[in-house]
Amino acid sequence: MRKWQIPVLITLTAVTAVASLHFGLRNYSTQVVFTALFAPDGSPDSLIISGLRVPRTLVALVVGAALGTSGLLMQSVFRNPLAEPGLLGVNAGASFAVVAMFSFLGVTSLWALSLAALLGAGFAMVMIFALVVFARGALTPISLILAGVTLAAFLSALTQVMIVTNEAAMEALLFWLAGGFADRDVSVVLWLGPFLLIGLVAAIFNANALDAMVTGETAAQALGVDTKQLRIMVLSLASALAAFCVVIAGPVGFIGLVAPHIARLMAGPSHAGLFPRVALIGALLAVLADIGARLVVAPQEAPVTALLALVGTPVLIALVRTRRMRSIA
Amino acid sequence: MTMRSNLIWSAVLLCALIVLATGIGSSWIGPKRVIGALVGQGSQTDEVIIWTLRLPRVALSILAGAALGLAGLLLQRIVRNPIASPSVLGIVDGAAVGVVVFLWMWSNEANALTVSIHWMPLAATVGAATFAIAVVAVAGADALQPARLILYGIALAALAKALVVIFVLLGPVYRASTALIWLAGSVHAAHWDDVAILSSVLMASLASLAFLARRFDQLVLDDVSATATGMNLLPTKALFLALSVFLTAGAVSFAGGIAFVGLIAPNIARALVGLSARSLMIATPLVGASLVLGADIIARVVAYPLEIPTGAITALIGAPYFMFLLIRQIKYA
Repeated sequence: MRKWQIPVLITLTAVTAVASLHFGLRNYSTQVVFTALFAPDGSPDSLIISGLRVPRTLVALVVGAALGTSGLLMQSVFRNPLAEPGLLGVNAGASFAVVAMFSFLGVTSLWALSLAALLGAGFAMVMIFALVVFARGALTPISLILAGVTLAAFLSALTQVMIVTNEAAMEALLFWLAGGFADRDVSVVLWLGPFLLIGLVAAIFNANALDAMVTGETAAQALGVDTKQLRIMVLSLASALAAFCVVIAGPVGFIGLVAPHIARLMAGPSHAGLFPRVALIGALLAVLADIGARLVVAPQEAPVTALLALVGTPVLIALVRTRRMRSIA
Repeated sequence: MTMRSNLIWSAVLLCALIVLATGIGSSWIGPKRVIGALVGQGSQTDEVIIWTLRLPRVALSILAGAALGLAGLLLQRIVRNPIASPSVLGIVDGAAVGVVVFLWMWSNEANALTVSIHWMPLAATVGAATFAIAVVAVAGADALQPARLILYGIALAALAKALVVIFVLLGPVYRASTALIWLAGSVHAAHWDDVAILSSVLMASLASLAFLARRFDQLVLDDVSATATGMNLLPTKALFLALSVFLTAGAVSFAGGIAFVGLIAPNIARALVGLSARSLMIATPLVGASLVLGADIIARVVAYPLEIPTGAITALIGAPYFMFLLIRQIKYA
């Protein structure tokens, strides 16, 4: 059965992505969509599809896949089913750094802002990791998430202060800060993509070590895994993925929480099987949420983050209620 | 004795903050003139500016802070843990949902409300109560573990925030902008009407608490011992929870979501006056009021002439404090 999962997921994602080109403020027939894609005639319909809907669908696919992967990596390293870039404050760290860079230094180049996002995400990750090390195992998964949420609240408050006190930043960044896939800069995807792909390949090569890591640190060490090095590498990659998503789409939560759990339900705990599935599921969720955002409050557009929260919070609650989370308090 | 002097000093601090907050504005009014106008001996312009423009805002900050502080005090006593507070239990955002749903349902094409604005606190209370009940229901047996309870609260708060965004979008643009200013947690637009409603909410709660003081003291004990002292545990907790929800809803419907005050105020009050019900019930509102008023002053001064949401300032103080409490609990766990 599992052999078929990946082709099925690819098909589903592709179908949803194509559907995403059809629906919105104006719904188009398949014929119009195909004309716009393969024989653009410069008509308004064609421009809307190729200029607006194709980019936002691409952004949703890439960001969804990256967030899903980032969440999976964090969950495995912290051995915490609730870990994800939003709840651990990593998204908030990246957003904070981008806003600070923009409003204090007036920097607008994508490279500088991406670097800032990397630093901010890294800072938040280091804080959380330091807390884990400091607590020496006394930190329950629940407390870890509480600490992450608090860190996020703090950084968001700082971001809010910077935004309110700097009107130029407010105009430029408020839309970006709301999080979403529409009207984003697709060129960032091309610039940052290769770096992350390299990191991802490295993580996939370490899939077996990650499997060992999930069973426990001592067990992993007994199996010859350099747990310290693996943790640092994987967490850097996870924060880089989150930072990358924040630069493109603003802070988007819950995909990183939900996608890994769906993937685990489908394929079990082995990372070799989880990586492709989690990326596909993340992409699928992001595109679905983006379509939903266009439809729920039509003719207006809902923030995709609100839609994801509507789906993600029940999942979060269900996860906290599971027996596994109960036993580890 | 130190307890009493602590109480007096916090009252003095609050009075000083009132004078300062009243003086700050587009034109600075010195303490002497403020006090003069307050006791009715000032110049006429000063009295107009102070009584109609500045004091409503100051009064609303004080009342909201006092109500949030008390709400937090009750919650912390119910779960017997200092990390509980109305904002992390989803009550604040639940009240916000109540308000936006109210604005969405009862306004006409011209963006005017079709019912009196005085119903808004009721809507906020319904929203806050719904989410408080939802948190308790979702938690079930977990309600006894504060950390888990708070995580459920945070999850439901995120859900509430999403609902607020969607309801704001469903309404016309004008309402959206009103709602957004309000949601950021600000006491910017205050009227004496609002002050009257919120102070009656606070007074009613304080009056009922005066009768419940002994039960409040009994709740310090663990559940078994508290029952052994002859207390009906569940009804008492439910009653305190209801009061806490009522207070939060009152504060939130007039001052928006001012974060973390309900967390910090009771902790400071405990450090100042100890655990006894009567002194805590005086000290907590004083501290809460000073916190919100102080934060409001900072919010107005830091980036003058721009204004920062009061809630952002309280979050900058409250979040590190929450982290400190969390780490301390880990160490002793």
